[in-house]
Amino acid sequence: MSHDGHHAVTIPAPGPEFVPHTIAHHFDTPVQEFQSAKLGFWLFLATEILLFGGLFAAYFFYHEQYPETFRQGGRQLDWVLGACNTTVLLVSSWTMAMGVRAAQTSQKQKTLLYCGLTVLGAAIFMIIKFFEYKAKNDHGLFVFTDMFGGYDTASGQLSWFKDYDGVMANVPHGHLFFAIYVTMTAIHGIHVLVGAGLIIWIMKGAAKGRFHSGYYLPVDLVGLYWHLVDLIWIFLFPLLYLVP
Amino acid sequence: MTTNLPAIDRPLIEPARKTFWNVSTGFMSWAGTLDHKRIGIMYLVGVTLAFLSGGLFALLVRLHLWEPHGLLFENDAYNEVFTLHGAFMVFLFIIPAIPASLGNLVLPLQLGAKDVALPRLNLLSFYLWLAGALLTVVSIVLGGFDTGWTFYAPYSLYTDKAVISIGLGIFLLGFSSIFTGLNFIVTTHKLRAPGLTWFRMPLFVWALYATAILQVLATPVLGITVLLVAFERLYHIGIFDPRLGGDPVLFEHFFWFYSHPAVYIMVLPAFGIISELVTVHSRKPLFGYKLIAFSSLAIAIISFLVWGHHMFTSGQSTYALFAFSFLTFFVAIPTAIKEFSWVATVWKGSIDLNSPMLYTLAFLIIFAIGGLTGVILGALNVDIHLHDTYFVVAHFHYVMMGSIALAFFAGLHHWWPKVFGVMYDEFLAKIAAVTIFIGFNATFIPQFIMGSRGMPRRYATYVPEYMAYHRASTIGAMIIGLGVALMVYYLVASLLQGKKAMQNQWGGVTLEWHSPTPPPLENFEKPPVMVGEVYDYTALDLETTRTPAS
Amino acid sequence: MSAHTHNPTGHDHSGSAHGAHAHGELAMGHHHVSTPELFRNVLLVLLVLTAITVGVSRIDFGGANMLIAMAIASVKASLVIAFFMHLKWDTGINKIVFLSAFLFLSLLFIFTLGDQATRRLDHEMHATKAGVDKQWVQPPPAGKH
Repeated sequence: MSHDGHHAVTIPAPGPEFVPHTIAHHFDTPVQEFQSAKLGFWLFLATEILLFGGLFAAYFFYHEQYPETFRQGGRQLDWVLGACNTTVLLVSSWTMAMGVRAAQTSQKQKTLLYCGLTVLGAAIFMIIKFFEYKAKNDHGLFVFTDMFGGYDTASGQLSWFKDYDGVMANVPHGHLFFAIYVTMTAIHGIHVLVGAGLIIWIMKGAAKGRFHSGYYLPVDLVGLYWHLVDLIWIFLFPLLYLVP
Repeated sequence: MTTNLPAIDRPLIEPARKTFWNVSTGFMSWAGTLDHKRIGIMYLVGVTLAFLSGGLFALLVRLHLWEPHGLLFENDAYNEVFTLHGAFMVFLFIIPAIPASLGNLVLPLQLGAKDVALPRLNLLSFYLWLAGALLTVVSIVLGGFDTGWTFYAPYSLYTDKAVISIGLGIFLLGFSSIFTGLNFIVTTHKLRAPGLTWFRMPLFVWALYATAILQVLATPVLGITVLLVAFERLYHIGIFDPRLGGDPVLFEHFFWFYSHPAVYIMVLPAFGIISELVTVHSRKPLFGYKLIAFSSLAIAIISFLVWGHHMFTSGQSTYALFAFSFLTFFVAIPTAIKEFSWVATVWKGSIDLNSPMLYTLAFLIIFAIGGLTGVILGALNVDIHLHDTYFVVAHFHYVMMGSIALAFFAGLHHWWPKVFGVMYDEFLAKIAAVTIFIGFNATFIPQFIMGSRGMPRRYATYVPEYMAYHRASTIGAMIIGLGVALMVYYLVASLLQGKKAMQNQWGGVTLEWHSPTPPPLENFEKPPVMVGEVYDYTALDLETTRTPAS
Repeated sequence: MSAHTHNPTGHDHSGSAHGAHAHGELAMGHHHVSTPELFRNVLLVLLVLTAITVGVSRIDFGGANMLIAMAIASVKASLVIAFFMHLKWDTGINKIVFLSAFLFLSLLFIFTLGDQATRRLDHEMHATKAGVDKQWVQPPPAGKH
């Protein structure tokens, strides 16, 4: 008897501007496919929490070890720019949620609009980040152009920590704050870029009519990723920027 | 369905049946496959090569230690050789081996599913493993690494070796492991056959599920640790480097937060194999099925609470030391529950002393020693003296090699007929099993003794007082090598000229034995429905469903 | 199956929404659609909390600074997770998965930061003990190897 006669399960398109979706062959129902993908993605988000969590553990550890260094270092960051970035990300989370909703309710143009706004938010975030990094570079607190110059054991001089204004002169291991600041925000920034790329990919699919009330799974998953990016920043902002 | 055909030497003339082996041909049909069975085979080849390479490094280490002043290498080169042995064995073999090879081959079959839930992710897992393996090999060429597989700071920050490239390799291997675990969790939740409730699942699935929880939750911390070491080397964060205000003990906390659960990632699947095999090969339902199932979860959770016992002498606070030592003893409880349940299963069973069962019985003995010596090491005041001695080396080889590797061999032999459709030479298999058992104990019992007498680990040379122990250990290692070589020989021979296997070679009752041997692409001719309880042998006809012991 | 059979003003449901709005056997069975009003309200609360975070940081509460900042951040995070990420209406296993990540992460924090915190107690203990207490190993008697 043939077991290859497995007929494909297809979700029909709800309108002419959309296309139907065929579920993967190893699934029996669309519900199974949807729930499997969602569970898998939540598991992936859990791994991201633990990955970033390690960085936060290191932050708390050294914050406790060198409180003056972290206080003084935090003062060098522009909290206004940080608050702007927080606002941008929160609003972009809102636009992303609206974008997923638009896909769920088969509103093609709105899906594209909200996803586009989210990408715009990502761009604004990265531009603000760029100016922040530039300021650190110019003040010698993290000289990106001399990042890999090494550590001279004899003089104790780090190639990228020049501290032209001497703001960290009176605290121990001043470079540590900026190293942690750059590492955490850069890894977060990479996730912002990846998220933006994924949303652009969703927009291309949405333009082709792939996402609608019968099948909006990829939009949902990319949305979850974007919210994770927002979540991490929600914690990063007060820790790094807001010094009492 | 061929269960009622008698076992015969040569197949009758029959139409060529499409199995997963021949359903499609060509390099791309393997390189781009989404079939969990083909992915499992590719992993099997990979981890076997890793095991043999790691074993080769082990033989070099043991040969070098024949002489007190070191026979083969300069001290620095010796550091690289034992590091490679550890790195290959831990990252390329033991962590992936059982879940990614046997798990991939067997788990969907045991669940009555057509495949894992996320087949493309499964293929990605394999390519991540491959990339990690290639990076590891490349790192050897690029200068090697000599930090021990644990790459502790601060040495790993300063050493003039290929730490970053091997770190990147480990990062990729970590994600390979994470994605495999993720896949198995989703598959277990969502793709079980009708009637297959959680408490009718085979215990191998429970074991892989508990393992998957650890893979998903613990491995990311290894990922960030490896990244941070790479960043330290690249631009000197100062996070682990004491010259820059960092704390090397923080590295150890991060490293062991993963690496202790990692040892349970390694051993839980082995426990799962033993659970399967004791019941099938004693033709008796498992004693304490729920106990064993829950103990796997308990071990997974407790494993997150004890990592500091790897760092008793590193400089933690006394309070942390007490906490970790106290908590360490608890993990012995669910582990002991398993050991006793297995023995109770075998007791008064109809035992078939075939090669899988020989490995299984060997496991029961060896793991008892390995586990108990772990409890000894968990005692804070004793560990102060035993830390970094050969006692520790012997302990972890008893659990890693004597238990996990033997369980891997057991599972390999047990599912060999199902996967490959052929049987190996049972007589040679028994010889190899006994040889490996003898060789293993000969290698590591002397190490317990000399470790308790102060022989430090990772030393390229030693004082002559320990020479007899080292030589005995080296001879034992050679015996293991012979046993493994014999195993490779007859397994390869079975692929070339083996007898055709029965559909249900051992008389098992879990769902994988209901599929054709070897299975077709979608695993079952009709989607199976589970009726009745798991490990219920009453329905089986003993005469037609079991190979007579030979 | 047209697009607007979905309830555009669908209300929040507590508990998991398994197939609560199934539309035929090919539907996805998981149809809770939040309202735009809900999303807008959540955003406003998030922005207000952000303002509070900044305002509160102007005051020095000493050791509690970090705790207060993290507490407010946790509230914001919970809103994003429950409403934007839809977890409130998601299956139980998805909730368990995500929340257990935070749970196990907290173990890393507790033991590592706990170790750091209690080292201070060790130092204080050693500082106050008389020197002779610290000699756990007696020097060997003269003449013996």
